Amino acid sequence: MTSPDQTLAVITTFLGRADKSAADLSSATGLYGDGLELDSLEAAELSAMLEDEFGTDPFSSGDELPQTVGDILAFYEVPATA
Amino acid sequence: MSTQPAAHYDRVHEAWTLIMGEEFHYGYFADPATPLDEATAALTSEMLELAGIGEGDRVLDIGCGTGRQSCDLAEQLGARVLGITTSASGVAAASALARSRGVEARFEQRDGTANGLPDGAFDVVWALESSHLMRDRAGLLSESARVLAPEGRLVLCDIIRKREIPFLEVRDRRDDFAVLRAAFGDAHMEPLSVYASLLEELGMTVVEATDISVPTLPTFAAWRANVTAHSATLLGLLGEQGVADFVRSTHVLEEFWSDGTLGYGILAAVKSPL
Repeated sequence: MTSPDQTLAVITTFLGRADKSAADLSSATGLYGDGLELDSLEAAELSAMLEDEFGTDPFSSGDELPQTVGDILAFYEVPATA
Repeated sequence: MSTQPAAHYDRVHEAWTLIMGEEFHYGYFADPATPLDEATAALTSEMLELAGIGEGDRVLDIGCGTGRQSCDLAEQLGARVLGITTSASGVAAASALARSRGVEARFEQRDGTANGLPDGAFDVVWALESSHLMRDRAGLLSESARVLAPEGRLVLCDIIRKREIPFLEVRDRRDDFAVLRAAFGDAHMEPLSVYASLLEELGMTVVEATDISVPTLPTFAAWRANVTAHSATLLGLLGEQGVADFVRSTHVLEEFWSDGTLGYGILAAVKSPL
């Protein structure tokens, strides 16, 4: 299981590389549209960074793409095995 | 480095003129051996044929770049042209070009997706390869329709997306997409059908929506030939990495053209009479 702080650190690093502000980042922050305004390429880049760091990522592993920062945090808070 | 349109164009303008030629856009090649300047002129001719611009027509050139097209439309057709761009230096360069040619084309710094111009003020809206840099495509088209007079024409040509690109494919090919972003800025391509649907929702009649990917494909080889021809100057303008990235981007685009991911489209639509 990955801590929220570890996950947020990766997201913050990604946002810095993407020249986007990490201010006011919270679980409720949306990833697209009115939130971080990620386009598909930026989402792909974040997806790859998360996988590089943690071995798996919520963009590639589920049926639905995460919509908020909280969705990403929740993905890593679930133990990989029971 | 910013990939936003204004900063992007300011940065690469001089280099792109060497690579793409004075007309600064894709070519429409009758055959792959057609010289680039003839091919770019041919693409402009395709637009002109659809636009049907007459003397005295009021033309809005959205994303006018360096003003070459606006000046040509004013000088060669007697049109009254307003060119708009988000780039302040683009406005300055275009205004200087008009002065140097003695052409009465005007240029203003405005956003094509919220242009602030009066309703019904133009007979023709002209958007040559600028729409892909405007993320708010619906805003661009609704503003274009708004400023057209009744029976006015919108003509547009641009890079198009020809199929859905699943997220995992974007992820797998993210290096290729990143190369395109580095070379061409924050571009977002849509299918021709999306343009057509948006225009029809606005009450416009689409009279032409044609995929011209095949005749534009030789553009990339022509650009690479110009990179080779101007390599020393381009290294000074773009740096070694910049030149390498540009060349790679042409190969990526060529592959996307060939596999049916991206291509090129031309479209014309007419606003309803009153």
